[in-house]
Amino acid sequence: MAEPCSVLTRPLIEGGKNLAQVTGDVCAPMERRPGALWWVAFLTAFGMLAAGVAAVTYQIATGIGVWGLNNTVGWAFDITNFVFWIGIGHAGTLISAILFLLRQRWRTSVNRAAEAMTLFAVICAGIFPVIHMGRPWLAYWIFPYPNFRGPLWINFRSPLAWDAFAISTYFIISATFWYVGLIPDLATVRDRARPGLRRKIFEFFSLGWDGSCRTWHRYEKVYLLLAGLATPLVVSVHTIVSWDFATSVIPGWHATIFPPYFVAGAIFSGMAMVLTLMIVARKAAHLEDYITVRHIETMAKLVIATSGMVALAYGTEFFTAQYSGNLYERFVFLNRAAGPFAWAYWIMVGCNVGVPQLLWFRRVRTHLAAVFVISLLVNVGMWFERFVIIVTSLHRDFLPANWTSYRPTSIEIATLVGSFGLFFTCFLVFCRVLPMIAMGEVKSVLSYGHKPKEEA
Amino acid sequence: MQHYWKSLEEREHGALAEGEFPENPLQTPAGRNRRGFLKAAGFSFASAVLAGCRRAPVGKAAPNLVQPEGILPGRAVYYASTCTACPAGCGLLVKTRDGRPIKLEGNPEHPVSRGGLCAVGQASILGLYDRLRLKQPLAGGKAVTWDEADRAILARLDSLRSLPGAVRFLTGTITSPTVAWAIGQFLKGFREAQHIQYDALSSSAILDAHQRTHGVRVLPRYRFEKAEVIVSFDADFLGAWISPVEFTAGYSAARNPELTTPPLAWHAQIESRMSLTGSKADRRIIAAPDEIDGLVARLAGEIESGRPEGELARRLLAARGRSLVLSASQDPATQALVNQINHRLGNYGATIDLDQPSYQRRGNDRDAENLLREADAGKIAALFVAGANPVYDLPGGEAVRKVPLVVSFAERLDETAAIAHYVCPDRHALESWGDAEPVSGVTGILQPVIQPLGGTRQLVETLAVWAGAPRPACEIVRERWREQHPDDFENFWEATLERGFAAREPKQPQARAFVSPQPPRQNTSQAGWSLVLYPTPGMLDGRHAYNPWLHELPDPITKVTWDNYASLAPGAAGKLGITDGDVIRVAGLELPAVIQPGQHERTVAVALGYGSRLSERFAQAGPEWIEALPTLGPNGRIGWNAAPLARFENGSLRYVRAGVEPVKTGRRWELARTQDHHSLGSPRRPIIQEISPEEFATARPAGDPREELWPPDHPFTGHRWAMTVDLNACTGCSACVIACQVENNTPVVGKDEVRRKREMHWMRIDRYYSGPPEAPEVAHQPMFCQQCEHAGCETVCPVLATVHSEEGLNQQVYNRCVGTRYCANNCAYKARRFNWFEYARQDRLANLVLNPDVTVRSRGVMEKCTFCVQRIQEAKMEARRLGRAVRDGEVQTACQQSCPAGAIVFGDLNDPKSRVAQLMRSGRRYRVLEEINSRPSVGYLKVVRRRGGQRHG
Repeated sequence: MAEPCSVLTRPLIEGGKNLAQVTGDVCAPMERRPGALWWVAFLTAFGMLAAGVAAVTYQIATGIGVWGLNNTVGWAFDITNFVFWIGIGHAGTLISAILFLLRQRWRTSVNRAAEAMTLFAVICAGIFPVIHMGRPWLAYWIFPYPNFRGPLWINFRSPLAWDAFAISTYFIISATFWYVGLIPDLATVRDRARPGLRRKIFEFFSLGWDGSCRTWHRYEKVYLLLAGLATPLVVSVHTIVSWDFATSVIPGWHATIFPPYFVAGAIFSGMAMVLTLMIVARKAAHLEDYITVRHIETMAKLVIATSGMVALAYGTEFFTAQYSGNLYERFVFLNRAAGPFAWAYWIMVGCNVGVPQLLWFRRVRTHLAAVFVISLLVNVGMWFERFVIIVTSLHRDFLPANWTSYRPTSIEIATLVGSFGLFFTCFLVFCRVLPMIAMGEVKSVLSYGHKPKEEA
Repeated sequence: MQHYWKSLEEREHGALAEGEFPENPLQTPAGRNRRGFLKAAGFSFASAVLAGCRRAPVGKAAPNLVQPEGILPGRAVYYASTCTACPAGCGLLVKTRDGRPIKLEGNPEHPVSRGGLCAVGQASILGLYDRLRLKQPLAGGKAVTWDEADRAILARLDSLRSLPGAVRFLTGTITSPTVAWAIGQFLKGFREAQHIQYDALSSSAILDAHQRTHGVRVLPRYRFEKAEVIVSFDADFLGAWISPVEFTAGYSAARNPELTTPPLAWHAQIESRMSLTGSKADRRIIAAPDEIDGLVARLAGEIESGRPEGELARRLLAARGRSLVLSASQDPATQALVNQINHRLGNYGATIDLDQPSYQRRGNDRDAENLLREADAGKIAALFVAGANPVYDLPGGEAVRKVPLVVSFAERLDETAAIAHYVCPDRHALESWGDAEPVSGVTGILQPVIQPLGGTRQLVETLAVWAGAPRPACEIVRERWREQHPDDFENFWEATLERGFAAREPKQPQARAFVSPQPPRQNTSQAGWSLVLYPTPGMLDGRHAYNPWLHELPDPITKVTWDNYASLAPGAAGKLGITDGDVIRVAGLELPAVIQPGQHERTVAVALGYGSRLSERFAQAGPEWIEALPTLGPNGRIGWNAAPLARFENGSLRYVRAGVEPVKTGRRWELARTQDHHSLGSPRRPIIQEISPEEFATARPAGDPREELWPPDHPFTGHRWAMTVDLNACTGCSACVIACQVENNTPVVGKDEVRRKREMHWMRIDRYYSGPPEAPEVAHQPMFCQQCEHAGCETVCPVLATVHSEEGLNQQVYNRCVGTRYCANNCAYKARRFNWFEYARQDRLANLVLNPDVTVRSRGVMEKCTFCVQRIQEAKMEARRLGRAVRDGEVQTACQQSCPAGAIVFGDLNDPKSRVAQLMRSGRRYRVLEEINSRPSVGYLKVVRRRGGQRHG
């Protein structure tokens, strides 16, 4: 193929695929038996999940005291993990909804996997607010529902109640959006499947898709509408999560900068997680032609942009604390940078501000191994960002007599590991049972030009 | 003639069919005036017995066919009694509900304690419901019946009756005239038998010194309320010295800026370690333990000559007859010098009362030393031990083992009881009849408020049986009192039971004119290390080492729980490379170090009262889970016993030991401390505020917070409950902490949970240091839920489990709480406590102490101070029943009730005449973290600081 003269005309999908090849390539991982690599990955992930399940079972049976929390530090790993996973969940909707509306056609190769990642991340995130409760069996009390206890209503002033709405809404919309996007591909798989249970299942879920022009027309209308609906959620969910902190009185939490700061951080971490997964998946599933270096590079650029926003937020926080003249506020930030958790703070700054600067270099951006390592470090950094915000603000607040430290217990670590186990288990299963790449959409961006999607 | 039962056995086998209320032991002889007597005595026994509350699980419950007179289910009945947790003899009001005592409160009318009650006294109620209290006599460690024990002991005694000097009766200080008489009667049956009293926390030297200078071996009564200058040489009179409740009441009365006629008492403390008393001093002089006696001598010289050189002598001489010099020295010569100073200053008869002396310490160390020597030499054939534990708390106490017959009257199997041949367990004070004369002229009464929970027998009854004249304790006590008040005895007795004490005619003063003492040998300072042994306000001499509340009570200064430790000065620790938690070896004892600001450089201080056998029971204290760490130390006990490091010298028990070098062992032992940070930060946070007397004189009344943009959420049209805490009065003694724990069913969480900073106390006392670590200033701040009007906790709870009441209370709804802990995170005061585990215990007996008005919280819910809402409700219901408004002072929170210093005032802010409303307008009032506009309902009164600071002596 001739070297294109402009990025705009450079093909998004390499290898000069035709439509049948696309279908074949994407469906291949679903239709062959899993390889050894998959099994190793799956068993590892499942083992981690099992450890997490054991830890959570033990915790619920014994009491939340098996975590390292105390009277001063009431949240630590639990809410850190929650915010971390919610943040991871942001990239999917951003890619599928906002980039769709912005006509970023490169998104077609990654949106399916990114959306799946979003769902799994939101599932992981949703577990934590439930298990972090002292009495998780009563978690349903935070939803308003008709009851005979008065009726007893919930506190609509509480950000935790808002969280419950925000996250459940986000999950429902994301799941719907993902599922609607899946329908044409499910029909493709249905059509390729031999008669039997597998075919029946796909038949059921493809909702009688017939590939007609009318079906496509309606599908695209629904997809566009859902994209429009999902877009504000990208901003709202993490804004509301940030209100958990911003509406409080605790220095280090009580900050108006939190909503944009959290949203930027969420996109940052989400993109990094997409990169981590995609770099592995393209190799493992032989999808190098679909998820190209160009995709990786584009996402790396998004990472560096959001890294800049996060860095600005870090700086602004310090400025505000100093400028406020509030001694508690000043202390909290000094304590972050130089207190007992300074190591966590500097891991955060190093991973979120320092390391991504390497992506300014094109050679780094296009070097897959380097991007992979950077994306991992960004994820580490973003986990620590939440840890720093939560723990360093709480552990030394107003009255020095209350100051304590915090050290996670084995149970908390196992729970964190378990959440990764859940995430990867889900993702690995997803790779096996559903088309990882949106075939229907990729076909629309093949380099030979636009054709009606009758082959889908 | 009726038959009165003396033990459960006897009751069961005989006497059941007699009388209208056969179980009622209050019947007076010959049934005379029975109804009147019942009324006056408050039906304590009737309530206990007839309301059907028994220790055993009730097989079948039957309602009372006839309502017992004066008993209403659900209403508390209070009985006056006397505290026996230490010999200070504070007045008690025992709160009983449905026949079981659930709380001890101070008796406000009691002339000694004046309404306060210390942490130990408050906690002593748990001893009543102690599962491991002995329930029957033991012979050689095996349970026997009282008959068997009596017969066996009498058989052994019969052979000793004619043997001279073979029988010794060893007790702690006995303040009860009846018990002292009974022991005397019993010993009459033996030749040259002796009753020996000693105090593990001895003040023997003070008594000896008065023997020398005034010819009477007594402890004078110190009247702090009359003093304008107080100079204390190492006497921790606010903490654990002799009678802290009495002294704290007097001290705070002399230093209250609102109430005391100026000048406020000025207090100097000369000490080597940081004591509670030193933390309140206007001037604190840090001196090595071996220098302190020299400083007394120097002061005596200055006073004698009338030419003051230092501030102390100058102030003392300016306040003749209004000053008070104290010393905790165990050197009789030094104490004699103190007497001389006080004599020259004209303090005898003014601030020091020798005409009506104190009986709170009567021990004689010389006698105790002789006894141990005799025991060691095998001269003693029989030793009776009551209210004392010599094997544990006396150096060389092991000699008791050599006595062929040791009879202990211990309530629990302590060290002495464990080696005793017979244990004849005494009753808990709340099951007993008795009396106590803590100071001359004031005799308190002890009355039983519950049916005995085991087959125990009171000491006086046991002695009466052995003396051949068995009688119930009630009768013995009444007999003794009748001798004192033969006229109109029944009315007097009723009145006494109601008041809890009687003012008796004090004994005629026996003190002769002052005789100048011999000048003491000048101790040369050796410039080496010294070990100081001291009691803590919570553990005292260790007699309450069975009590988990007291183990979990943070030490008021170091904030360490569940352990004792060796404290070192910061400089010394730095030189030796020792940090907090390093195990060090001092005089053969290995224990963890704590770095204590304000301690003398060459001093190691170790608390007494720990490492007791009684603490072995705490193996299972606290929740069990995979990462839980043990509560017990490597020795299988809580802490380490330092008492063997004391020594007898010149006839007194010395708590200072020279020439002990602390050595680092390289091991570590993590202490459970409730507070890790001890300064107010830099820049200093305005959490503790201070005011000088001059500023206070011109201070404007404190105003209300600024007007707000929005109309108030809560109009507070009825009551509006509020509290003030006087930081100037608060000594940090922690009585309120235990009072709150008892009142509000706060669980004990165990050492590991405290280590993880999960203590459950609703009321805590924050202690802050300021200034240089060698000589810091100290401030104590009781901290608890501030009941904010704009409460951070209320807005963030997703399920409305914490809401504001229309009376200004921040209410926690346990049933609704799901345990997100968001409220605790958003509490600026971190006053909320979370049930990380199921802390409540399935201990049927111990759970009888639970307050039925307060819910026991399950795991996973948040809790916090409620302003004792149950007491508010009780007062409101009572007022409604009587058709009137709640009066100021009718609602007393538990912390307020117990506070010996009167630092806490609670009331209705909407009543402008209430005390709390007046104090809220005081120029000293401020609110903690007012700037975040949480609008707390708690006002703090600033510390009145007279800068004088400290220096090294």
